[in-house]
Amino acid sequence: MADSKDPAKAKSRGRKVKEGVKGVFYGMAAHGHVTAALRTRMYLEHLFMFITLGDMLGVPVIPPYYSLKILPYAVPNIKSWKQRVFRERDFTDQVF
Amino acid sequence: MVDILATPFLWVVATIAVYGVAYWGYGKWIDRNVWRSDAKKATPAHMYMDGVEYFPVSRYVLWGYQFKSVAALGPILGPFIGITFGWLPALLWIIGGNFFIGWLQDYGSMMLSVRKEGRSFGPITYEFTGARGRTNLLAFVLFYLIIISAAFIALIATFWNTFSGTFVATLGILLAGLLCGQLLYRMKMNVFAVTGIGLGLVVLSIYLGVQIPITLPWGVWNLPIWGLICAVILYAAAVLPTPMFVQPTNYLAFYPAYAAIILLLVGALATPFTNIPVSMPSGPFLFDPQGILGPIWPILFVAIACGAISGWHSLVSSSSSSKQLDVETDALPVGGGAMLSEGLLALASLIAYMVLLPKDFVGRTNVGAWVFGAVKLTTPFLGSLTAAVLTTFFGLVLIIYALTVQALVTRFFRLVAGETWGEGRFRALGNKHVSSVVGLAIPWGFAVSGSWWALWLYFGGANQLLAGLAIMLITIHLARVRAPSRYSLIPGVFMVVTTLAALVWQTGTFLFSLWAYLQNDKTWVLRNVRGPIQTDPNLLIIAVAINAVFVIVGAVLFFVGVSMAIRLFRSYNQSIADARAKAPAAADGGTVEKGSP
Repeated sequence: MADSKDPAKAKSRGRKVKEGVKGVFYGMAAHGHVTAALRTRMYLEHLFMFITLGDMLGVPVIPPYYSLKILPYAVPNIKSWKQRVFRERDFTDQVF
Repeated sequence: MVDILATPFLWVVATIAVYGVAYWGYGKWIDRNVWRSDAKKATPAHMYMDGVEYFPVSRYVLWGYQFKSVAALGPILGPFIGITFGWLPALLWIIGGNFFIGWLQDYGSMMLSVRKEGRSFGPITYEFTGARGRTNLLAFVLFYLIIISAAFIALIATFWNTFSGTFVATLGILLAGLLCGQLLYRMKMNVFAVTGIGLGLVVLSIYLGVQIPITLPWGVWNLPIWGLICAVILYAAAVLPTPMFVQPTNYLAFYPAYAAIILLLVGALATPFTNIPVSMPSGPFLFDPQGILGPIWPILFVAIACGAISGWHSLVSSSSSSKQLDVETDALPVGGGAMLSEGLLALASLIAYMVLLPKDFVGRTNVGAWVFGAVKLTTPFLGSLTAAVLTTFFGLVLIIYALTVQALVTRFFRLVAGETWGEGRFRALGNKHVSSVVGLAIPWGFAVSGSWWALWLYFGGANQLLAGLAIMLITIHLARVRAPSRYSLIPGVFMVVTTLAALVWQTGTFLFSLWAYLQNDKTWVLRNVRGPIQTDPNLLIIAVAINAVFVIVGAVLFFVGVSMAIRLFRSYNQSIADARAKAPAAADGGTVEKGSP
């Protein structure tokens, strides 16, 4: 949930209740869908990274010329990509 | 005003008060003295933040998400069977089960996962019990998913068959979901506008449902056909991309489902003003008076799962919520708080049954009784809506609860099947279409042949056993870190013993039915199946086969459960022995461990 525009200003009790209710409603109605959408995007990004950096991993997917053209866009994502790909995954992680 | 003591009002107030003590008293005490949650400790959401799976979320959002993920058909239908033994034992189990075990499991699973760097139960089981333990869990979960699917397909088919207006209404919501998915993701329409359109379509669907009731003309074959239609819908949900179908449909289904919960709670609290007394006997009946279900222990404790204690919750708590917990101290409101709130949903459902007459429960076939109870509780203040509209609305709510959860269960089965059979000789079973068909065909077979109450009790048994095993994992962790473990060990042992006993009873019932058949008494085998197999003498051999299959299912669940329990108890004993060996000597002020130089 978005924080108040002025963090220094003490939030009134009413505003806290309002934020709480908004949070609960968002959590019930949409949070699961938002995380599912994020996960779908993550898998697509994994695919993109694999295609882009495939030849560096020993799996040439596209010609190196195009890989090099795309590289500036892929480099900033390498760290988080590695972090996610190397993470231990289990079937019990996929309940929701 | 009616005599307030004759209404369920005071029971609602008493339950809320006891749950308050569970949260602010027992819960805070466990949080402080057993888990010692620390707001300053970094949670996996911060340690491994990737903005996708691991990221901190406000406790309010996470509470809403957790509650929505755990509250489904379980707390609504469990009390229907539980009330067989009288409403008082059912109520006491909803209160006591949740007080001592339910919230403890949900909260403990979340804390365990947080302390294990956000790992879910698969890797934790591997750590505590080895590779065989994890394989055991995988086999158990596969069986568990098949049984859940069978119970839910049977129920959805029964609801469509019982409430003639609900099929068109369900279809309307599914089509509205498809349309909203397109508007949201293809047309990039604003989410508020899509929600408005979707809600308009939901109301229209209910109206059309009332106007166009559908009753199939094939008598005893109606249920198998409804079940088949349900399986086709679930297949589409399992193989289509989630943003296209499951996601928008679940989003739209949320609104009527939660509106119904609020209406039911208001109806339960308003009973002194609406003059609705309790009509069901309080019990306790130590055996099912109708001679179908068996003894109060262990059956009641597996019949009412969600609302008192449910193993499914441990998977939810440890798979996604624990990865998004902002601070450790949020685990109590999110995990424990959501479970206690679900207890209130079970209570509201129990009250919907309590206000009905005993004749509404004869033969345990009137599974739609909740709808009649809900209509009875809400009609006094929703008088402008006709009984037909309210019946369709509450019937639809039952169906969308079952359908939305079942869509996720079918997808999960597909993923587990991919994990299990993705490689090797049976890799065809790992294919998404094959696994979805298998994951629906077997449950459909069970659903259309077995009595729904038999399936529900197997489902409850498997679910509660999973809960017992989850609590044992929590206990092992506590023993390893030398925290007090008896508060989870006693509930864990109780749940494991109770549910294994329930599985033995259920399996024994089917075995006895086969034995009776061999003694020329076919009433028992026919009692355990449903039409057309129950009514057609030519299909008697199928009835016998189904009883035999149920014996095998029960036996497999029992032995996998026992095997898992033995591994966990061994691991617990080892943990206790290790902890004792490393216990600080009393004389050194607790700084030097035994055996150290």
